[in-house]
Amino acid sequence: MAPQDKDDDMPDFSDVQSGASSTAPEAEVYETYEVKSGDSLSKIAKRVYGNASAWKKIYEANRDLLKDPDKIFPGQKLKIPAAD
Amino acid sequence: MKKLTASLLPLLMLGAQGCKKEPPPPTPPPVTIATLPPTTQPAVVSVSTVTLGNAIDAEKRVTSAVDTFTPKETIYASVDTIGTGPAKVRALWSFVRGEKVAKVDETTIELNPTGPATNEFHVSKPSGWPKGDYKVEIFLNDAAVPAQTKTFKVG
Repeated sequence: MAPQDKDDDMPDFSDVQSGASSTAPEAEVYETYEVKSGDSLSKIAKRVYGNASAWKKIYEANRDLLKDPDKIFPGQKLKIPAAD
Repeated sequence: MKKLTASLLPLLMLGAQGCKKEPPPPTPPPVTIATLPPTTQPAVVSVSTVTLGNAIDAEKRVTSAVDTFTPKETIYASVDTIGTGPAKVRALWSFVRGEKVAKVDETTIELNPTGPATNEFHVSKPSGWPKGDYKVEIFLNDAAVPAQTKTFKVG
């Protein structure tokens, strides 16, 4: 099996980097990330921002969805704010 | 001469009456001319155009539209919107192989434009894009159906 292929024969896109911007003033940009089994906010922050301590940024952006930052579940769709 | 003057007098008086100034016509009421407001934007944001390319300019517009990319390129989608008011524009990038679809990335811009706006979304993959077919779907707000879809290839 090629390194990039998962066992369902589709490529792996976990290292994709993305961004966005707008000419509209004060536009807010965020990525939508679907929680997978084994994820934690710090792991997601490490992957997205390169800094596990930035998990608070993700938590604050999802306060309406997350009551406890230690409790996230597979399938949840989190807003990941753009890096500063 | 006296007789002539006397006979002319009534005529002169008539002429004077004929020249009597008519009272000025009443001042007409002021006419209000409806003026069209400056070109107004619709109060709802909509997507007008989506263009793909491998570079954008300072206005966030793709410099040269393409639909085939190399594995190491950053892929841009420039999305023009019209209208005003709060809106969400979401780009969902996917890899397509036959009936299977794999999500590549999903990014949202929340904006509140006061006029036409240009929005850019971009994706890159340091290890290189797998060759094949892809698509980017542009959704407005919480719509389940994309406002526009663009397909492209990496090869």
